[in-house]
Amino acid sequence: MEPIYEHEEETALELPSEPMRLNMGPSHPAMHGTIKMQLELDGEVIRNIDIVPGYLHRGFEKSCERGTWTQCFPYVDRLNYVSPMLNNVGFALAVEKLIGIEVPERCKIYRVILGELARISDHLTCNAAGCMELGAFTPFLWFVKVRDWIYDILEQETGARITHSFGRIGGMAKPPTDKLKQAVRDIIPQVDKVLAEVSATLVRNRIFMDRCQGVGTLSQERALSLGVTGPMLRATGVDYDVRKAYPYSGYETYDFEIPIGHDGDTYDRFMVRMEEVRQSCRILEQAIERLPDEGPINVDDPRIILPEKDEVYTTIEATIAHFKIVMEGVKPPKGTVYSYTEGGNGELGFFIVSDGSGTPYRVRCRPPCFLNLKAAEDMIRGNMIADVVPIFGSVNMIGGECDR
Amino acid sequence: MPTFKLDGREVPIEPGDTIMRAAWRQGIEIPHYCFHPGLSVAANCRMCLVEIKTDRPMLMPTLKWDPEKQAYVPGGKPKLTPACQAPAVENQEVFSKSPEALNAQAHVQEFLLLNHPVDCPICDQAGECKLQDYWYTSQGKTKRKRTEPVHKPKAVRFGPTIVYDAERCIACTRCIRFCDEVAHDHVLDMRERGNKNEITVSPGRELNHKYTLMTEHVCPVGALTSRDFRFKARVWFLRTANGVCNGCATGCNSYVDFDPRHNKVYRLRPRDNANVNKFWMCDDGMLSYHAIHEGRVLQPRIQNGETRATSPTEALKLASAGLSKTNGAKIAIVLSAGFSSEDNLVLAQFGRTVLGAQKFYLGANGGWEGDNILRNSDNNPNRAGALAAVAGAPVGSLSDLLADAESGAIEGFIALGGGVAETAEQLAPLHKLQTSITLASNVGPLEQIAHLLIPVTSFAEMDGTFVNAKGIAQRFHRAIHPLPGVTPAWQTLIDLAKLMGKPLALRDLAEVRGALPSTAIGTGTGAGIGAQEASR
Repeated sequence: MEPIYEHEEETALELPSEPMRLNMGPSHPAMHGTIKMQLELDGEVIRNIDIVPGYLHRGFEKSCERGTWTQCFPYVDRLNYVSPMLNNVGFALAVEKLIGIEVPERCKIYRVILGELARISDHLTCNAAGCMELGAFTPFLWFVKVRDWIYDILEQETGARITHSFGRIGGMAKPPTDKLKQAVRDIIPQVDKVLAEVSATLVRNRIFMDRCQGVGTLSQERALSLGVTGPMLRATGVDYDVRKAYPYSGYETYDFEIPIGHDGDTYDRFMVRMEEVRQSCRILEQAIERLPDEGPINVDDPRIILPEKDEVYTTIEATIAHFKIVMEGVKPPKGTVYSYTEGGNGELGFFIVSDGSGTPYRVRCRPPCFLNLKAAEDMIRGNMIADVVPIFGSVNMIGGECDR
Repeated sequence: MPTFKLDGREVPIEPGDTIMRAAWRQGIEIPHYCFHPGLSVAANCRMCLVEIKTDRPMLMPTLKWDPEKQAYVPGGKPKLTPACQAPAVENQEVFSKSPEALNAQAHVQEFLLLNHPVDCPICDQAGECKLQDYWYTSQGKTKRKRTEPVHKPKAVRFGPTIVYDAERCIACTRCIRFCDEVAHDHVLDMRERGNKNEITVSPGRELNHKYTLMTEHVCPVGALTSRDFRFKARVWFLRTANGVCNGCATGCNSYVDFDPRHNKVYRLRPRDNANVNKFWMCDDGMLSYHAIHEGRVLQPRIQNGETRATSPTEALKLASAGLSKTNGAKIAIVLSAGFSSEDNLVLAQFGRTVLGAQKFYLGANGGWEGDNILRNSDNNPNRAGALAAVAGAPVGSLSDLLADAESGAIEGFIALGGGVAETAEQLAPLHKLQTSITLASNVGPLEQIAHLLIPVTSFAEMDGTFVNAKGIAQRFHRAIHPLPGVTPAWQTLIDLAKLMGKPLALRDLAEVRGALPSTAIGTGTGAGIGAQEASR
């Protein structure tokens, strides 16, 4: 950042017109996490901005290097803690790719269902906060109400509302409950209803449009060159979605579309997320139909999946399997792998290195938020200070993922 | 050097090598139980079956299920060979990871676990058990047998040190071969066959020779357990330091297994060294770690008229005062054959430069039987290193010290404690001397008769060097942390010299080691024979 008082003359008589430096955050309600913005202001206009993440000191990547591969799941839960299931699935897929296994069909569908529920809750949260920060408190409550019902489903499935730690290498912790299908069938109309209500009241609202349209514009070229992914990239008109471009978990078999914007402004990002929620509902409807009631949820390999407890207590092979997995961990072969999925905010990648032991040698995460955050500087620069709030809200920066 | 190909990799052959031994020398592991590089070949576990490429394979007729025809079709599979027994032949191609070999290994492993009890949670071997390792690498399947396993005797007392569990035993005969070939005592043998097969002690005997703990160590599973280590610790909590046994002048290389959470040593294991101990250690050596935690001198003690504990600072002050008031030339310097070369060197230098002492003596252990296997007749780990410290000056024994004390030739002593052959009663006349200071880690005769007793670290709490009977200087490393305020003897003496106003030229371990005579400078921690069998 340029020095601010470079050309200051101490004897100048005019009103001070040189830029003012203002720190927003790290503890600020609009910062969506612990992050600092150093603004260089000319009156109300932001001449320059420097976003400073790194206040969380999580050490997630380093922490992964001391436990077993399976013990990374609670850590990845806390990456993007608004859609932890997507991280769980992303990490599981990375290790599975390294081992070279594929989970059973039922598990793939289950992962899609839980993942899409998480994506809906992620987008609803982002848009809810965006509305609220612009003074539209009612849509916030509508969104969060439905998100809460989605959390109820996730709690029913996993036992936890937010940090599920539900993914496993080679499967999931538990099979789907009997109530899952009905719960999802019940929630989809509720999501539709909220989207319709918000569409009717907010998206054509003059104030909302004025605050969002043409504000925080990101060009397509700039977005691509900065490595922006997810709804932020799609709002600029690029139809890149990992689920379509490089399908995993059978996404290629689902009928859904990728919504794109054209201006890359705050309004487009809002609308892209709204539409993605609708598309996720479409995927959910299809997946619920396909999900078999019976069948294995985990791969059939006792070296990867913990055996049943009654087997552990009665047979030596299962005891050894249990011992090996718990004490030493699942051992992927020596090698490296980059595996990427569509997270809540874009391409969530894991570059993992195995030395053949039960402990990761290196877990490197490509966090979509961190790359999107850099683009936020471009988007905010030149706008008014009041615009920081909706622009930054539409970036949906999640601190846990950004700082890792 | 002739070579053969193992799984596509060139492996050099030394004369007389089997496939397994040549691979082992290169650090390549072919799964095995009964093979041990220090023992003869038994080839009874069948885990190391490999495929050898030949123009005329011996095909065993088999029936294989054909899913297309929905019927069994006749086929053939090549006859496999145990790698531990088959001689390595030049230019031969061997496959230990071919489908047939892997299949055989998986099935051998399944057979070995057929009647195995569900004991991992209570078994001391868990965590370093070959059955667990090879289940993971070679079998990876759950149990198919649904009938009750065959039961056999459990927790059979084999002798004062070893307990046997026949259900866990895979009958690899490593323990039998060890007793026969290394300990030269045919005390173990096999009885019955098939499912009932078990190890037994010769009638009228106990497993009580000098190397019984090695039978536990060579056991690849948890069948033989040491009563000393049984149920004391779980191996995955233990960390390891490289040590050198201080039991006798052989200087067997050891692993010191300790728990960093409790700062406690739990066992010693042999560390391969072809030049010293090969793969073995004796019972007394492996149990010598008890001295790290038992009979320790924990605090400095004044034992002159009044008997009381004191602080390290005051102890050094008292030592300084005591040494200053006595004629330095009449102070005896008592080296110890049980202390490291570094300690002895610094004491000798301290005597010469700080006190001006001229008379050197050596305290050494006695009362021990050697044998032709490992145990040296001298049960002091560092006699050669202690003698090297004085660089050729005459060194008397403790009886010489007693005589000199009687004649008035010496009026005080400063000693490295350690074990000595003499009893406290024999040494009692020394208590009359004007000044007597002993630096020691454990309580013993020299400690009892000293006016001032200063604690120092044991061999597990410091880095040091022992020179064995063959003149090989070997370094050992610190395992656990010493008590607060307790330093190695060489460090204590350097501090004492500083306090007395005559600092030594040596300041730290590197400088002390630099001052060691060339015969006593250790290089590293000994040459391992093969990395693979290092732990088991």
